[in-house]
Amino acid sequence: MINVLIQGLALSGLYALLAVGFTMIFSVGRVLNLAYGVYIMLGGYMYYTAVQVLGLPKIGGFAFAIASGIAFGVLTYTILVRRLEDNPVAVEIATLILAVVMQSLIILIYRPVSKSMWPVVQGVFRYEGVFVTYNLLVAMVVSWVALAGLLLFVRYTRYGRAIQAVSMDRKGAVISGIDPRQMNLATWAISGALGALAGVFFATYTQLNPSMWVGPLIVAVAVVVVGGIGSIIGSLIVAHIIGFMETFTTALIAAELRGVFTMILIIVVLVVAPKGLFGRSEL
Amino acid sequence: MPKSQFHRYLLCWLAFGAFMCLVPLFASTGMVRVLIFANFLAIFAMSWDIISGRTGYISFGHPFLIGIAGYTTAILTRHLDAPLYVSIPLAILATLVGGALFFVPALRIRGTYFALVTLAFMELMYQLTQVIAPKITGGTRGLSGLKTIILGAVPNYYLSFFVMFAIAFCLWLIVRTRIGSALAAIRMDEEAVTALGLSTFKLKLFAFGTSAAVAGIGGALYVHYIGSIAPRALFDINFLFTILVAALLGGSGTIAGPILGAYFLTFLLEYLRPFLSGAERYLIYGAITLIVYVLEPRGLHSILERAYARIAPALARGFAR
Repeated sequence: MINVLIQGLALSGLYALLAVGFTMIFSVGRVLNLAYGVYIMLGGYMYYTAVQVLGLPKIGGFAFAIASGIAFGVLTYTILVRRLEDNPVAVEIATLILAVVMQSLIILIYRPVSKSMWPVVQGVFRYEGVFVTYNLLVAMVVSWVALAGLLLFVRYTRYGRAIQAVSMDRKGAVISGIDPRQMNLATWAISGALGALAGVFFATYTQLNPSMWVGPLIVAVAVVVVGGIGSIIGSLIVAHIIGFMETFTTALIAAELRGVFTMILIIVVLVVAPKGLFGRSEL
Repeated sequence: MPKSQFHRYLLCWLAFGAFMCLVPLFASTGMVRVLIFANFLAIFAMSWDIISGRTGYISFGHPFLIGIAGYTTAILTRHLDAPLYVSIPLAILATLVGGALFFVPALRIRGTYFALVTLAFMELMYQLTQVIAPKITGGTRGLSGLKTIILGAVPNYYLSFFVMFAIAFCLWLIVRTRIGSALAAIRMDEEAVTALGLSTFKLKLFAFGTSAAVAGIGGALYVHYIGSIAPRALFDINFLFTILVAALLGGSGTIAGPILGAYFLTFLLEYLRPFLSGAERYLIYGAITLIVYVLEPRGLHSILERAYARIAPALARGFAR
């Protein structure tokens, strides 16, 4: 039982990191980026390329993954989203199409077969019937550090507060001399970086394949939907609800039903409480 | 719509129908088979467009509706040995129930969130068909060796084309009425429609029902054409992607658009086959659609319409001379 709890905690940490980039874009730009799963996939594949194909050190792998995440986030925003910005539905459709395009690109380059990734940290933590891979524990720690850093950045730096201002009131921010487009661009870059970072750990947790973006995207969607409009703390809470729900389902019912409850949660919450369980709050 | 314009459109429909009837006379069997897929894709794209293109409720779950129809008729014919004239209507009925499931969230939410619910419906169905009662649904591998309605490429072509044509024609007649205008008004401003004293509830119910029925007809016939069904082939983002792309590329909110898009995509696929054999073709599909979508959200239909408007006066002058 303790084992399940600890595994749930570790997985939830990873999910929080997976979801927070998606939440940020929604909070600041009021659009859903369905290509977000691609940042996660890209992170995994780039790390794999750097470390397992080119033989770079792990730090290099992370740098490579995060840089490509940022680049792709910025490109998505400038090329696609900026042109459709006033229309969230158009952005939703376009980013879904973009996600499938990127999936085909990955298939074209890396072939459709699954690839297994070496864990970032080897070994398994064992203590009195508790066993969790160090990899997942490190993922959790990295996730907590990244989230804490993000929260501090948003709350206490000028730039972060400007981003927060746009998420609260776009017009008000403009009046105060903030350029919302620049803040949006920064958000997409941060989101790409966080997605790619989460993607490295997610890929080591599962494996690399061209359709791996769907699962994390659904988790991110569930977190935003259930947590209400993009608050970082709300996302953190909901990531834990979903993480524990999945771990318990795997441990107590059946591993195949893992995703089912997440989906039911999305449907039920949206139908019963369209504004999310935790209501409206800012970043 | 003025009477003369009505007659001109009617003439276009008849010419299109007549031309497509003649196609098997000169096309190869391979081409006819390609066209069958185009017809089915056109049915699915039209079904998507009734909800999403007209009322603005974006459905990311159309494979869910098509899948319900497909699985119902597949299970009925496979396990209960039901004849097709029983199983197909039942499948359409089941799809209407599925459409009603879609309708419930649409009463409360719209826009981006509605699309997410329908997406969740699709993914839920994908996971459930594999886990629950795999003996009946065939689990991950699905069911194969299903009955076919008729054999041969040409008869199947005529069947798929007539069904597609009949659906398109009926939809065209419907959207020409005031119901069509009211549905388009919902997309623009739902509150305004309510304020006019119209029941958006009934209008949406009508749109969802029609869409589900069309998806049901298409899904049931499609499954009996290809003879097999599997969760990954149906409840898949790639399938959703193909439907979306066909409707958007052709031009959503029109009848001819989704048909145009479906034909365009299927032919593109055929010409790309020697260069890109597998899933890579989605790269080309998606890239083309994104470019068209960003530049002209109303698709090829609108581009062609404008081109025609530019050429028509010149042509008329040419004839007059």
